[in-house]
Amino acid sequence: MPDVVHESVFNLQFPFTRTLGSTLSTFFSALAQGQIIGVRTGGRVIAPPLEYDPDTAADSGTDYVKVGPKGTVSAWTWVPEPTHLHTIKNPFAFAFITLDGADTAMIHLVDAGSESAMKPGMRVEATFKPVDERVGRIDDILAFVPAADPAPSAGAGESWDAPAEPEISTQDSYCDLVYVDNTSASTLLWMESLLAGKLVGQKCPVCSRTFVGPRGMCCVDAIELDETNVVDVPDRGVITNFTVITPVQYPGQLETEPFARCSILLDGTDAVMAQQSILDIPADQVRVGMHVAAVWVPEAERDVSEIGNRGWGSGGDCISGWRHTGQPDEPEENYLERMM
Amino acid sequence: MSHQPVAVVGIGQTHHKKRRGDVSIAGLVREAAVRALEDANMDWGDIDAVVLGKAPDLFEGVMKPEMYLADALGAVNKPMFRVHTAGSVGGSTGIVGSHLVGSGRHKRVLSLAFEKQSEGNAQFALGGGKSGSIGAGGAFAPFIRAYIRRSGAPEDIGWRVAVKDRLNGAKNPYAHLKLADITIDKVRESPMMWDPLHFLESCPSSDGACAVIFTDEDGGKAASKPPAWVLATAMKSEPSTFAGRDPVSPQAAHDCSDEIYKAIGVTNPREQIDCAELYVPFSWYEPMWLEAHDIAAPGEGWKMTERGDTALDGSFPVNMSGGVLSSNPIGASGLLRFSEAALQVRGQAGEHQVGGAKLAIAQAYGANAQFFAMWAVGSSLDPLG
Amino acid sequence: MARTENDIAIVGFSQSPMVRRSQKTETEMMLPVVQSAIASVGLTKNDIGFTVSGSCDYLSGQAFSFVSNVDAYGAWPPINESHVEMDGAWALYEAFVRLLQGDIDTAVAAGVGKNSNSDPSTLFTIEMDPYYLTPIGADPWSMAALQARAYLDSGKATERDFAEVVARNRANAKSNPHAQLSGDFDIDELLAADYVRNPLRRHDLPPTTDGCAAIVLARGKKAYDLCERPAWITGIDHRIEAHLPTMRADITKSVSTALAAQGAGVGNAPIDVAEIYAPFSFQELIIREALGLDASTEINPSGGALAANPVMVSGLIRMGEAATQIMKNGKRRTLAHATSGPCLQQNLVCVLEGDE
Repeated sequence: MPDVVHESVFNLQFPFTRTLGSTLSTFFSALAQGQIIGVRTGGRVIAPPLEYDPDTAADSGTDYVKVGPKGTVSAWTWVPEPTHLHTIKNPFAFAFITLDGADTAMIHLVDAGSESAMKPGMRVEATFKPVDERVGRIDDILAFVPAADPAPSAGAGESWDAPAEPEISTQDSYCDLVYVDNTSASTLLWMESLLAGKLVGQKCPVCSRTFVGPRGMCCVDAIELDETNVVDVPDRGVITNFTVITPVQYPGQLETEPFARCSILLDGTDAVMAQQSILDIPADQVRVGMHVAAVWVPEAERDVSEIGNRGWGSGGDCISGWRHTGQPDEPEENYLERMM
Repeated sequence: MSHQPVAVVGIGQTHHKKRRGDVSIAGLVREAAVRALEDANMDWGDIDAVVLGKAPDLFEGVMKPEMYLADALGAVNKPMFRVHTAGSVGGSTGIVGSHLVGSGRHKRVLSLAFEKQSEGNAQFALGGGKSGSIGAGGAFAPFIRAYIRRSGAPEDIGWRVAVKDRLNGAKNPYAHLKLADITIDKVRESPMMWDPLHFLESCPSSDGACAVIFTDEDGGKAASKPPAWVLATAMKSEPSTFAGRDPVSPQAAHDCSDEIYKAIGVTNPREQIDCAELYVPFSWYEPMWLEAHDIAAPGEGWKMTERGDTALDGSFPVNMSGGVLSSNPIGASGLLRFSEAALQVRGQAGEHQVGGAKLAIAQAYGANAQFFAMWAVGSSLDPLG
Repeated sequence: MARTENDIAIVGFSQSPMVRRSQKTETEMMLPVVQSAIASVGLTKNDIGFTVSGSCDYLSGQAFSFVSNVDAYGAWPPINESHVEMDGAWALYEAFVRLLQGDIDTAVAAGVGKNSNSDPSTLFTIEMDPYYLTPIGADPWSMAALQARAYLDSGKATERDFAEVVARNRANAKSNPHAQLSGDFDIDELLAADYVRNPLRRHDLPPTTDGCAAIVLARGKKAYDLCERPAWITGIDHRIEAHLPTMRADITKSVSTALAAQGAGVGNAPIDVAEIYAPFSFQELIIREALGLDASTEINPSGGALAANPVMVSGLIRMGEAATQIMKNGKRRTLAHATSGPCLQQNLVCVLEGDE
């Protein structure tokens, strides 16, 4: 067992595109113009508006009302060290802010300079991003700041004539999360063997099944498997099944041409490695029954950094793929039911 | 002791589309829920508990969205429950909802399942956010290849299913794909995606939601429209990979239908069951499930497809709604199967109604063809009697 | 009171060590815990009628992360199985309802959470309203702190009361061999620490924990076959509130907990021990008030979530700890509470009773 625990950092990043529907479109279109609105429903003004009355789930309708831009802080907290997901980078407050003309509070940032400036009941005022930077999202309001003049907002409580077709109907939402996976003992065993240029499995002492790409347990007998259960397995086998995948394009996708992924039954074992790639022959010439052997990356260039706990049996950057050995194909009856 | 009778008295679904650009996530689920409430002649306040199902949260990028959706679905001050069992989740959502009534915990329960796939990208999510995702098609294509080899089925079976389900979908006002002019040639000539699956043999990516309202025996008998009675339910799982597992005809699929048939006294499913909604995201799964659920003998399922038995006017109609091949809001797809079976025995399926359907089954499956959910619904509590 | 075949009890409980960082995967954490819970009542995996777990894809950052967890059950031949994207306490609720169907008499409910792979202050921003809160990075610590501020402003407690909750829980945890954080803490020293989110200090926040727990349930007579003194579930209920805390009438109260407590029959008789899942110190005070508990009830002998907080498991651990008080310690009537969502949005209450 290596004494260094392998950790892999994974950034889960994706640009989601949200569609907004009538109420949110109306709100965010107004917001991009610098106007905050609420909706009058169930005898009160909810701001920012919801499509439904939270108490009854009834449609909240279209009786939109101008609120703010000033409001009153009820509860607040201070964020001394903003994270990468917070929209301003200096220390700030989150607060419940009841905007003038509204009966419910909004949760947003208060950029007050210092914690000591925060007081319950303080009057704050929205500051917007410059017009050309607004996208119709809640952070078009940069933050609230202490109001220079505590007097009520002009126009708050007046009706807002919403356009029939709000300008903004979608919203980008960027997911940006960091994961640090530490590699399990069984995966470390796998990495070590790959770096040494060999394949290993773990053999269940009860049912004698061999699991390649060690997963630390027998999923049939529900017992833990460890280094004492490790067995060497050949790096040669027979293709028992495959498919050819036409890659779908999405952010982060690098594949552009159709590629084959094969299940390979390792010689003399009951172990199958799934989703393996085949080298040197076009995807449309891959067939079941082919004898193949692993093609190892030169020892000095082997890299297991891409191997994590996500997905068993990946050869990482140690096996570049599998190559046809040239032997005659295996008769079908010897592999037909052996795809797992 | 045994559970109390459970009736389906309300069914609602959205119009399924590639992108429902006109609604938020809340708007999407509310559209289905409001239709179900109207169908049941109920209001939000009549519902005692809500069960929400959907596939991975990574599809929309909202973690545990039932929290944000609690007020949108009228669950404030009520129980709200969230199920996630991979592709079978829509079925599980229905089953858990029915159990809440059958156990006597609640009188009226709303089960709702949804997916708003257009917010993100399922291939991205399934690939763990990395390059080279094989997607669901890449995962299932090898099983299909094995089925073809094993059964000796001709290559056009998948094309036939693709055509049949799309023609059914063209009769379903809510279906995403309405391909009334689809032909075998068009399927065959469509691009190969995951050999042997062509583009037109694969499910679309949809935004959509489905809602079902359950009530007890008294509620079912008092309903303004005919109810569907939930006669039996089953959820079975097995590990994803081990030597000796048969992913082509998984044991969990067999066990699921065996348990259902035993519970309701079905000894000859082919004759006694009137129609079935089976989870067929890729064309070949129709014959595969017909065999796994003992509707056809091993190796014979494709012959039912070839003969036209599974067509809407055939002797054993399958996927009358157009199935997953016509609409695939992933998390909702299972509940759409379950609700179509209920629509059939209620006689409410409109243009895709099977005449006189009294007993129907519905199934959903997920992950590496290892999670199964199934139910049987009847026009009465004893449709075989 | 004579038990019937409709009565369901907790008969077995097992939990992993609660640690800041486990080197195991979720599946590897689950296997020994689930199998030891089953073995503790003299059964084997194939005897179990229904298995259900709670976990969260976004904790590991991978879609369908729970799929491999089926390996931990040895689900062959295939098993009756389900999964919830909720704390294991709700998995137990599904198992309870499933047992009421009457065709099976044992079930396992598990929860697992490898929390250490991510940072809760960023991860849980995506649990918030996707239009109004996630885009401004509204984090769970800030949301809790806003609730804490409102609670202080209501005059019902002081920051010293918060610190006392912390000191008591961590002192209790000294006798819990599974706890991650335990020890004797001086209130004044705690209060001298900086705020992480005013008015909350680091000790008011839960630790980040990897862990797993599993509970075995049995119905009717079977419970006596498996356990000398079953912990009978005499009441269980759960409720949710509006998502946005600003849409709730008074966030210094937990309406959903009070409703669930009423549904579970908490007030029908005294409660000897209550295990409360309060991720943030002051929330214990809010929950305690909503449950209507008086000074005679012992709170969190395990140390609660301030001693270990494996998200997706913490609620189920409360149920296991409350059941252990009956099964092993001879207590008569105990309570377990679980929560989920920002500012105690969703709450579950379970009342357990031993035979006279």
